[in-house]
Amino acid sequence: MSAAKTPGMRQRILIIDDEPQIHRFLGPALDAAGYEPLRADSGQEGLRGVALWSPDAVVLDLGLPDMDGKAVLEKARAFYEGPIVILSARDREAEKIQALDLGANDYVEKPFGVGELLARLRVALRQRGQAQGPLVPIRAGAVEIDLEKHLVTRGGAVVKVSPREYDVLARLAQARGKVLTHKDLLTAVWGPAHAHDTQYLRVFVGQLRQKLEDDPSTPTMILTEPGIGYRFIGD
Amino acid sequence: MPADDPKRPDPEALLAAAAKASRGRLKVFLGMAPGVGKTYEMLRAARRRKADGQDVLIGLVETHGRRETESLLRGMDVLPRKPIDHRGHVMMEFDLDTALARKPALLLVDEYAHSNAPGSRHPKRWQDVEELLAAGIDVWTTLNVQHLESLVDVVQRITGARQRETVPDSALSRADAIELIDITPDELRERLTEGKVYVPETARLASENFFKVENLTALRELALRRAAQTVDDQLVAAMREKGVEGPWAAGERILVLVGGDAMASGLVRAGRRLSDMMMDAPWTAAHVDRLDQPAKGAAAAARLRDALKLAEQLGGSTVVLSGADIVATVMAYARRNNVTQIVIGKSADSRWRELLGRSLAAALLREARGAAIHVVTEATHEAVVEAPARRRIVDWTAYLLAAGCVAAATVVAWGLDVAFDRVDLGMIFLAAVLAAGVLRGLRPALAAATVAFLVYNYMFLEPRHSFAIGTPTDFLTLIVFWAVALAAGGLAGRVRDQGRDAQRRASAVSALLAASRTFSAAAGREAAAKALAEQTAAAAGAKAVVLLPVHGELQPTAGAPALEDLDAAPMAAARWAWEKGEAAGFGTGTLPQTRWTFWPLEGVRSRAGVAGVEAGAMVAGSEDERLLLALLEQGAVALERAELATEAVETETLRRADRFRSALLNSISHDLRTPLSTVLGASSTLLDYGKGMTTAVRDDLLLSIREEAERLNRYVGNLLDMTRLEGGALRLRTDWTDVRDVLGAAAERVSRRLESRVLARDFPVELSLVRADSSLLEQAVVNILENAIAYSQDGARIEMAAYEDRSNVVISIEDEGRGIPTAELEQVFEKFRRMEEPTDRHQGAGLGLSISKGFVDAMGGRIAAASPIHDGKGTRILISLPKAIATPHHLL
Repeated sequence: MSAAKTPGMRQRILIIDDEPQIHRFLGPALDAAGYEPLRADSGQEGLRGVALWSPDAVVLDLGLPDMDGKAVLEKARAFYEGPIVILSARDREAEKIQALDLGANDYVEKPFGVGELLARLRVALRQRGQAQGPLVPIRAGAVEIDLEKHLVTRGGAVVKVSPREYDVLARLAQARGKVLTHKDLLTAVWGPAHAHDTQYLRVFVGQLRQKLEDDPSTPTMILTEPGIGYRFIGD
Repeated sequence: MPADDPKRPDPEALLAAAAKASRGRLKVFLGMAPGVGKTYEMLRAARRRKADGQDVLIGLVETHGRRETESLLRGMDVLPRKPIDHRGHVMMEFDLDTALARKPALLLVDEYAHSNAPGSRHPKRWQDVEELLAAGIDVWTTLNVQHLESLVDVVQRITGARQRETVPDSALSRADAIELIDITPDELRERLTEGKVYVPETARLASENFFKVENLTALRELALRRAAQTVDDQLVAAMREKGVEGPWAAGERILVLVGGDAMASGLVRAGRRLSDMMMDAPWTAAHVDRLDQPAKGAAAAARLRDALKLAEQLGGSTVVLSGADIVATVMAYARRNNVTQIVIGKSADSRWRELLGRSLAAALLREARGAAIHVVTEATHEAVVEAPARRRIVDWTAYLLAAGCVAAATVVAWGLDVAFDRVDLGMIFLAAVLAAGVLRGLRPALAAATVAFLVYNYMFLEPRHSFAIGTPTDFLTLIVFWAVALAAGGLAGRVRDQGRDAQRRASAVSALLAASRTFSAAAGREAAAKALAEQTAAAAGAKAVVLLPVHGELQPTAGAPALEDLDAAPMAAARWAWEKGEAAGFGTGTLPQTRWTFWPLEGVRSRAGVAGVEAGAMVAGSEDERLLLALLEQGAVALERAELATEAVETETLRRADRFRSALLNSISHDLRTPLSTVLGASSTLLDYGKGMTTAVRDDLLLSIREEAERLNRYVGNLLDMTRLEGGALRLRTDWTDVRDVLGAAAERVSRRLESRVLARDFPVELSLVRADSSLLEQAVVNILENAIAYSQDGARIEMAAYEDRSNVVISIEDEGRGIPTAELEQVFEKFRRMEEPTDRHQGAGLGLSISKGFVDAMGGRIAAASPIHDGKGTRILISLPKAIATPHHLL
């Protein structure tokens, strides 16, 4: 996809990472994608950068030498509301969940391809712009979710969903493109007392897939993020 | 033990000399009585040593306020005394620990026979000295001859006073040098009148008696003799060391027979003196446990134990024999051990047997061939202060029962007397006496006999209603009554005692059996320790604790009824038992003030730990103690076995880790380098010649860089997973998992590598949830899929299915590859296992399937491979996971 805006109003992305090699390819990649890359080589520098430049989005590596990436995240969240996408290793689910709980918008697993990171950034930036927008129907293939009328249709035909199923679907759809942790979903739909009853989610997501996916065994709309949560992919 | 070659040194003597070399040397300044100037002489000699530049420390010296002696202390290093608080009294005692820490070349400790204040580590100073010597410190000390253990009776006979503070003879014979401080009795008396000898005011009168010329002369002789004997011993030792054949008591062996009577300790001392006379002939104190006789009372058992302990202190060995016939048992032992001298006691109560010609001495004399019998008589003035006999607890119920028997007999007799004319009613009363005897033993039977006779006489014998005895037959009746009472009561008592004894032995045996069963069932060191603590507590009837070394530090590991922390004092005793390998604490020579007794647990190979029992509850009977010791022995072996088992497991783990490491090194050198060389080659080609290449060629090179980097990434991921599995760092995050979700995510991850292969899915609409770590399961499936991709042709089909049976959810992944030879099916999940030629060059390092297995195992599932599956081709891998609870449908 092409550049985000006109060159004069390029969105600025702050990259907080101690690895010069990451900056070396990520800087040109972001530049080529139409963003303005900003660079910080440590947690302290990163926090200063966030305060000083108030970038449009932040890419934060959790493995920093001077301070814990999660601490950087927490401190930044005290004064910064823009999207933060974190970089973390595959086998660190607990770390990812913690970061998401602390206010990270999304994560990308290292090692990563630039395309994947850019996609996540786009979702995060778009959601920011949409936050206060009117409730427009959300589409994913043949499925349309009308948040105003609480109506789900597939190929124009109304699909019967239970109120709970609708709640789960609506939550996912509203955050489309963004991962929602099990805890987020359970707390929002069933209440804090059920924050760990993930079996509820498995059942409801399974039902939704049966009703809405073209091939329930190969879901394309509600994706599983193993050990973390679900992600809704809309059009 | 004379050596075959007279010139060859005796190895035992050489060993003893070697042991002495690392020990400190002990010098004793020996005197006949207080006031001869031992301390003074010792200090003078010490000053000379100090002047020679030796590191001399005065550990403790009693100057008794005498100026001459005090002046010798000037300029010397004197160790401050340590206050010991005992029930509010503060006593200033020798500071053993500081002395050990200071480690001087020579240490002076006065008064070898001193008893330490309660609360000290050892009850006796000579034990402190023993520890100092063991630590390699030379010690000088002083001793009066009257304090020697084996001379206690002799000294008492001479002076009339019994010594309380004694030193075992072995403590003196261990001395490397003895210096006799000798002055004549007249000189000593002179010093006494001049006030140069310290005597406390209260004891002045007694000491006037003590310092009589006759006494002093006798004591002087004893001191001289003992000093001379030590010189003799040293000479003999030196001769043995050099291999000189000498006149030592090669053939003599002494056996001292002791019982539980008051003579026991005296006999032991007599044995020791006899041994002294025979050039230190080896001697043994023996006791015969008679199987046919009831167990001894507590007092007798205690006397016997003390006597045997004394024998050990005096340098003898001890043995407990058991048999029905004393003479036969003793003679069998004597013949087996070439005993030449037998010492027995002749106590007053055996006089009857003697009259009957059946005394032990007489019987032994008849049997003993070649052995001399020494009979020691009870010294009349040996004031063995018998502990006041414990008051018999009178069992009034027994007498009530006896009275009841007589009353019943009276009623029956009265009835018969009224009903019939002139029957022999004596028989009725006899029956009552018999009943009382059989039921409650001797004393109630005798009481019953007396009362029965009185009642019978008063009520039924002419003249009636008077106690007058009419005919001599009536006397006979009384005697018969008593005889029956004696026989029945005595017999019943013995039967009862034997029964009790047999019961106790049986319970001891069954306790040991039960213990051995629990020990063999115990898996691991902690379990064995716990079992031992429980068995020990049960056997001793008190709290028990087992301490095992943890990283070299002794720590309470198990306790019964519960594991409690030990205070500093019991811990010190436990450590002592651990380090020195001897019992410590209550009832022993070390730290007896603590309320626990500790025994080392000696295994076959090494010391396994320490077991402790809280004192007080355990009956000090030898039977119980023996049971306890047998139990501890078993426990020690069990602990050792558990340790060995753990070691074996550790060794096996190490061996496996080693194999893993070498395989890993091979793999790293191959599997890391191959993709790296592609990356390096392709990128340098692009840098150098990229400008002249077509876009298609450049893209292909770039693609190969990306592919190889991905391959490297996978490999690193595998290595990390393997490390987590091997290192035991795998932390499961188990959660409700829909297997279909996981399979979908796994399929997504391998989708790019499928190329032209088809990955088909076959999932049911409804599937039970499992409890699993979804990311681990996903990785397990990804590895299987990658393996399937690597071994199947382009365009081949890979089928991924999920289904459930009654109790499991099953994942099945099938490929159409070449399959695995049946012989190799079992090894397919082993590490670094890889078929020779995979069709896909991107295959991993043969870690994938073993990681899958590791992860599935960790989640409590099972994994299996089947091949070939159709037409001699294809492999099917099955993962089965236990189903979690069915979905709660009310939620929907």
